[in-house]
This record gives sequence, C-alpha cells and structure tokens, in this order.
Amino acid sequence: MLGAHGIGMITHQSPAVAGRSMTEGYLTQPTLMLHAGGRGLPAIQLMLSLEGLTLERGELNPGIVGEGYIDRRHPHTYLHEVTATLERGSDRARGSLTIGKGFAPFGTDDPMVRPFVKYPINHHLAQILERVVAIGAVRLGPVGLEAGSFNGDEPESSGDAPNRSRLWDSWAMRATLYPIDGGELQASYANVRSPEIAKGGGPDDRKWSVSGRFENAGRRQYALAEWARSTGYVGSDKTLDFHSFLIEGQTGVGRLLLAGRLEVTDRADEERLADPFRTLAGGHDFSILGRSRWTIGTFGVAFPIATRRGVSLTPFAEVAQHGVRETLRPSGFVPADFYGSDRILMLSGGLRIGIGAMHGRMGRYGAAIPRQRGTTTPQSQSPQHAH
Amino acid sequence: MIMSRFMSLPRSFTALALVFIVACDDNPVDPPGGTAFLQVLGKGAVPERYTGEVWVRGNTAYTTTWGFRSEFGNAIKIWDISGGAAPVLVNTVIVPGVGTLGDIQTSDDGSLLIVATEPSPGSIMIYDLADPRNPQLLTRHATASTQPGVHTAEVQRVNGRLYAFLSIDPPARLVIVDITDPRAPVEVLSAPMGQPFLHDVFVRDGILFTALWDGGVSIWDIGGAGSGSVSAPRLISNLRTEGGQVHNVWWYHAPGGEKRYAFIGEEGPSSGLASASGDIHVVDVSNMSAPVEVAFFRVPGAGTHNFSMDETRGILYAAFYNGGVRAIDVTGDLSSCTPAERSFDGRCDLRLMGRELATGLFAEAPVYVWGVHFAGDKVYASDMLNGLWALREFLPLD
Repeated sequence: MLGAHGIGMITHQSPAVAGRSMTEGYLTQPTLMLHAGGRGLPAIQLMLSLEGLTLERGELNPGIVGEGYIDRRHPHTYLHEVTATLERGSDRARGSLTIGKGFAPFGTDDPMVRPFVKYPINHHLAQILERVVAIGAVRLGPVGLEAGSFNGDEPESSGDAPNRSRLWDSWAMRATLYPIDGGELQASYANVRSPEIAKGGGPDDRKWSVSGRFENAGRRQYALAEWARSTGYVGSDKTLDFHSFLIEGQTGVGRLLLAGRLEVTDRADEERLADPFRTLAGGHDFSILGRSRWTIGTFGVAFPIATRRGVSLTPFAEVAQHGVRETLRPSGFVPADFYGSDRILMLSGGLRIGIGAMHGRMGRYGAAIPRQRGTTTPQSQSPQHAH
Repeated sequence: MIMSRFMSLPRSFTALALVFIVACDDNPVDPPGGTAFLQVLGKGAVPERYTGEVWVRGNTAYTTTWGFRSEFGNAIKIWDISGGAAPVLVNTVIVPGVGTLGDIQTSDDGSLLIVATEPSPGSIMIYDLADPRNPQLLTRHATASTQPGVHTAEVQRVNGRLYAFLSIDPPARLVIVDITDPRAPVEVLSAPMGQPFLHDVFVRDGILFTALWDGGVSIWDIGGAGSGSVSAPRLISNLRTEGGQVHNVWWYHAPGGEKRYAFIGEEGPSSGLASASGDIHVVDVSNMSAPVEVAFFRVPGAGTHNFSMDETRGILYAAFYNGGVRAIDVTGDLSSCTPAERSFDGRCDLRLMGRELATGLFAEAPVYVWGVHFAGDKVYASDMLNGLWALREFLPLD
C-alpha cells in the first residue's frame, strides 16, 4: 500500500530573536510511504521524507535543538525509514526480527504520528531515529521486550547516511506492558556513542524513558505521559543531565479534534553561527554555553473535513506559549537577552493532506506493535491518519 | 483572562514536573590551601559582551569577545595599561559578520595584529599596528580552508618568515598561512588532523606542537630539527596524555637553556560559565622522539584553559576558568617526588608537591578566566564574565 502526506502551514513567532517577531510559511512533513509484504513474507516499511527540499532553513520551533539547528526543527533525511520485519508466532506469543534504517527500540512514538503538527522539543531526548538498526522483539501475553543495536551518529544533513564505521556501536532495549486494549506502559534505556560527532570521539549519551500511552479503537481519544532523561558522559565521567516531562492528549468533540500538550524540557544551549538558528554541528570541544529549561503549553484544534477515496484533508490551528530560563548561572546563554523576552508565543495554522495508507505508529516494529482490535492488522499502518 | 488561566497551567505543570527532575549538584571549586594571592590592581569592565583572549604589547592590551551576551562577540577591545592599575578602554574595533573572536596576537615586531574569527565565516583579520591603539585592517583572509571557523591562530616566525598557524573547526585541520606580506597571505599547508578536534598549536625554535584532543599532542619538525619544513612538517612523535582532550601547549625554555618540559592543557567538559574541568599535564620532551608524561596539576572543581609564563622565574600562570588564575612553580625536576606526592599511575602531583604558589581572582568570584598574559611585572587575565583584570605578578618572599 502506498501513501503520501504533507502539511501546508504558516507559523508566527513572537519574539523570535532580539525582540523581533517572525512569520513564515512551510510545506512541512512531505512524505511518501510504502507498506508491503507480510503474510509470511518480511513486512517492508518505507518512508521517504522530502523535508530536505522544502525545509532546508528549518521550521520555527522555539526550544528545539539538534543536527546543527536550534530554535528551528531540522529537516529529516530523505531516506527516513526503510525496514524489513520478519514476524512469527500466535496472538499469545510472537517474535520478530527487524533490520534496516529506522527507530531504535527506545522511548515513545515519533511526533509525526501524534496529534500536533509542531514537534515537542524533547525529540532528541525521547526518540532515537534514522539509524541502521537490528532489532529483536518478543511478545508474551501482555509483556513485550525489544533489544536492538544501531549506529550512534546522528545525521549531519538531509542527504547524510549513517557512518559505516559507527555501525552497531550503540544499543537500546525496551520493555512494554500492555495491560488493557489500547493501553501500554514502557520503560527503555539506550547507550548512544558519540551522537553529535559523526566520526566518533564525542561525548556519549545514556538515556532513559518511561511512558504510558492510551488510544481508543477509533483513534479519537489519545493520551500520552512520558518522562525522559539523557545524561552525557565523556569516558566514564558524567557531565550533565537533561530531563523532559510531557503529557499530551486528544479527544474528539463532534467533528473536531481537540488536543493539549504540556512539556517541561531541558535544552543544551550550543554556540550559534552567524545564522542565529544554526549551531556548529559537533562543536569544537565538549562544552556547552548553558542549559535552559523550557515550559511549553500547546493547544490545538483540527477539523477533518473530507475523506474520499483515501484522501483526507484536515485544517488545523495550534497555539503554544513558551516560558524559558537558564538553569546554570552564570550562563553563556541568557534566554531573555537573546530572544528579548523569557516568554515566547507561537501561532500556527494550515492544512494537513493525506493520501492512501499512513503510518499508524512510528518507533516500533513487528511483535512490539499491538494488533488493532478485531483485526490482524498491526498499528504500523493506518488507512486514515486520525491525528 | 483565558490566556492568564492558560499561562497558570504551565506553572503548575512545572511544579509537578520538577518533582521528577533532579537538581544538578553544585561543583564548588576547591579553595586555595595556604597559597598566596595575586594582588588585584584593577579591572576594565566589559559588561555587554563575554570576553575572550588577551594579548599585551607594551602599554597596550587587546582582548577579544565571544558568543552572545547582549551583543555578539564581534568586538576587539583595546586597553591602555600604562597606569599600572585598572586597564582603561581606549578603543573598540568591530569585526563585521562574525559571532565570535578567538585568539588575538601581535607579530613579534609589533607591526601586525592578527585575530581569529569563528564560527562560519571563519577567517583571520590582519591589522596594521602603526598606531597600536588604532588598528587598520590590511587583509581579511578567508578561504575554503578557513571554514567553518578559525578556532585559534598562533603567529610565529620560522626561518625568517612570519606564519599564522590556524586550528580549524571540524572537520578539523591545520592550516598554515605565510603572512610575511600581510596584504597577500599565502596558504602553505592544509592538513587534516585531530581526534575529533585540533584546538591549538605552539611553535618555537622550528618545532610545532599540535593539540589534537583525544589524539594527544604531536611534535613536528618544521625546520628546527632536521628535514621538516612549514609546508611539509615531519612528525617526530605523538603522546596521548592522561585523559586526552588536549587543548593547548606551552614549551618551557628555562633560563639555563633547559627545554625539558611542555605543559599541556586539558579542556574537560564545562557547562555554561559555571563549571569546568581539566588538568595541566607536564610532559618531559627532553627526548622529543619519546615524550613522557611525568606530572600533573589539578584544581578540583575547575578546569584549566590558556597559559602564560614568567620563564625567568619559572612560574607558569594558568587560566582556570571558574578557578581564577593559578601561579605554579615549575622550576627544577618535576618528575621527582615522594610516594605521597604521586598519583596511583606514578605521575607527580604538583599540588601535593606544594608547587602552587598563588591564586588570583578567587575573592572576585564568580569569574571565568579564559586567558592570561604575563608582561613586565603584571599578569593580565581575561575574564569572560567581567572583562580584563590586572594582577601583580607573584614575587617569592626572600
């Protein structure tokens, strides 16, 4: 099955830099998807992202950082995900093996398949993606276990591929409890070698994630609570902790989908280039300018207005209020000085378009994905994109 | 009304979330134990920018600026230090289109001022110093080789020609530029090196030391020890010092002609301008083909940065970020110590040996000292948080 997805959006942020507001338009999250195989054959899952073409400057998203971008979400790699999963077993006991490029068995689902268009800023704390992975998963009754190995290096650009010399230098494992239909509790740990210096030799990350998630059969009721921590290590010497705590939910009211999210996340403040939204990827030492704590409240409303022949159109609007302060003093980065305020407002609105089969879950493979109730279809694919 | 209620939610949520967030430990700097203090003569304040490196020539001091405070770090500050007390700001030169200025140095004849710029666009700015307090730009040398940024620039003369040795941000490499004709710089070498960074170099007597982070320190012949040259350095040796993260080097020439020790700065992780880590490593280079680490100096809770020396008296002045300035006695044999003064790996601990002579700026905390420059009878310290300090040199009591 094929699918395509994209979002046309306008974002207004005030202030963005030095007290100035910015308004920009994007074609964000343009993706092409393929689901194939299964029924005894390996299941193929493919996602191509075209953000490298449409989002090179990044998307305004105050507080986010990663892959050389800061306060703008970076574009994903063109080959966002391609995996082959071989799964065997019964409803009571299943096992699977997944290889390819995709998500490590750590943390929560990718924000792309969650209610909001704007990403939470904990993306690099709560997910590990775009890696060459080998993952084994087993599901025994209500308990699931996954373990996987992958390359630690983060992408350096949209066209970048994982470094061959870094293959299998990092690992992660996740345990999931499925206590009720639609509900799951997970705890996971990852040891990621030198994520920010692709050739290796940089600080390592040790990551923890704990979350609870619920989604009803119609996918109109959804809730997620997650805590994540990432600790830097240089050799065996611990450097700094970065924490995130996030809750979000969605409910359907008539034809409307209403969503809310509250997030508190620590961010490493890195040295910026002449472009204030870019950082020197990899840095020039193991120091950071400071650490800031972001508290973000987001409210969203979406209105699915058409679903015909596999096409879905969903106008949406989101408003987010950010509060930020430095947590290390003295700090080489004082948010109020840089932004012009310690309060930032962001307004976004646009149209989400989906055609064909969408990804239902992103971040799990094979036996780790719960079956949709009353079907044999895994939640890895969804004929419509409820979020 | 609705918005204010909405805004109260994040605050409540913050309180809830903080329950789950463990506060960071403070990492206090060890107070000086029985050492003397370097007398503070005065401060030239820089409140609007973070201060970077310092260089002194005659009665003029030059400081650079770094990062973003309420202004970008694009200013060269020029100070009158003839008064003997607080440096007096006499001029500010803005370098357009850059975010940070790193190293700053005059040429040996005092005719040129060279400043490194980063991050992208990386370059070196070469100024004419006919009027030392009013530099005039001669050349901005920016090429593909100097991108994405020049982290440090050392200016030294080799076989009569003046060179700038540039440490380039990742992908790390050494670039050497002949600036004998400052209006027409000529690049003579561009060589990848560093694991993962090349942070600094030290050049003296035709010998080049490169600080290669976890790649250790390498010693090269560039004309002082055989067949090497500036355009074709010959590797003599490499040493991986304890802990890696090799940041800077000073090869000490003692008054009696002894050239036995190189001091290696280790830049450990630091967070904001609040904490730092990293030791000074003492390497015996009397046999350059087989250098050996013999001693170290550590300030618990602080980390070292750049050095300067009173070579006549054998005093190493080291910037120690949040630990201020340390004056260390490096005379005599640094590899000889009692068992109680040795670490478990056999190296001598200069602190336990009582080699720490004096501390500076401890009472002025918080400070974050980037660089020091010994000149005349004073030590000038560039403090990222406060500006430029003038300290009296350490004079041993007779």
